[in-house]
Amino acid sequence: MAAGDEQLMLAYREGDAGAFEELYRRHKGGLFRFVLRSVRERSVAEELYQEIWMRAIEARGRYEPQAKFTTWLYTIAHHRLVDHWRKKGLQVVSLDAESEFSAQAGFEPQGILEAKQGLERFARALELLPPAQREAFLLHHEAEMSVAEIARATGSNEEAAKSRLRYATAKLKEALGDG
Amino acid sequence: MAESDKERAERVGDPKLQSAYRALGAEEPPHALDEKVLAASRRAIEVHPAPLVAPTGRRSWSVPLAAAAILALAVGVTLHMQIEQPGIEGLPPAGGERDRPEAVESSSPPAAKVEKPAIAASAPPAARAETRAKPADPAAEAVVASPAKEKTAEPAAAGQGAVPEREERAPVESASRDIGSFPPLPRAAAPALAKRADAAAQAAADTPERELERIAGLRKQGRHDEADKALAEFRKRHPDFKIPDAMLERVERR
Repeated sequence: MAAGDEQLMLAYREGDAGAFEELYRRHKGGLFRFVLRSVRERSVAEELYQEIWMRAIEARGRYEPQAKFTTWLYTIAHHRLVDHWRKKGLQVVSLDAESEFSAQAGFEPQGILEAKQGLERFARALELLPPAQREAFLLHHEAEMSVAEIARATGSNEEAAKSRLRYATAKLKEALGDG
Repeated sequence: MAESDKERAERVGDPKLQSAYRALGAEEPPHALDEKVLAASRRAIEVHPAPLVAPTGRRSWSVPLAAAAILALAVGVTLHMQIEQPGIEGLPPAGGERDRPEAVESSSPPAAKVEKPAIAASAPPAARAETRAKPADPAAEAVVASPAKEKTAEPAAAGQGAVPEREERAPVESASRDIGSFPPLPRAAAPALAKRADAAAQAAADTPERELERIAGLRKQGRHDEADKALAEFRKRHPDFKIPDAMLERVERR
């Protein structure tokens, strides 16, 4: 039976380099896509992705298996992304504010509706989601997190996490013509 | 049961949405990035065991550097203090005060110490001689102090302004007597003070006996004029000193 993520992380904390390699193999794709779809620019995503893993490596001594490893890892990712958004001038409190973010992106609902390919519409709708909603959706679909885990990883409460996930889902369904 | 379905739906998500999301692609990080992260993970456990506190951006050299800076500062301050203090403490007391009984009083109460400098500094030479002859009795000193105090009060009464008593004292005296109550002197003042202290020390070294020996030497060399002059000067300065007969023969012109 394969060791759990938490056991692997504890083993790495004790000096087992192989345990980390296995952890990395399991989570590298999900984390990379989470970051890539959060920031959209590939070069920026790669830089952030590397920094997130570096922070995880540096913080290994503080890791306690009280929560799932994925929650711990994506909490680090969330904090790094928040730093990134702050540097870019986006306030954390406005992560839910659709109007501001959509205006920045030149969002035009009519344009989306008129898009010919469903997948393109979906991808664009995902891009144009407010960061907090997109983050909730990505955590749910990439890291397979529950609402409670999303709340924990993003430092919010369950109601907020649930609301963000519901709004994101509704908009993406609408983009697919399934709203 | 309905709640359970809802929970399940929440966990799994909408199948159509999920398949659309999967269709976006399964991007992976570049291989070079994988290597970087894995190399860093290996390096971290080779170099350091797991840190209890995550580094906060400071480099590893900051702690030794700070320790070295503190050490250098501490050594510097200590050396500075050692250089300053002996410069003051090493000054000999002026006016032959080494011979005075009160000069060796180190266990006197602080109040008495504060009083004494005013006495010695402002008293006239005659009063000083008197003081020299007296024992180290605080009560007796208080008697001697009276005229001095009156004298120091005069300038103020005459409207010359309230000059602090300490400023009236010779710097050497104040330095030698009040070392405990004064702050360290500026470094620039030390050479001048030392020079004055040397002169005072030379005068102090010329005890009456030595002076007489010097006069006798002049006489022996046939420098009678100088010897006469020195002897007259000696008698002027030490009117009460009784020259022993044997010495008198050597110093007086025959």
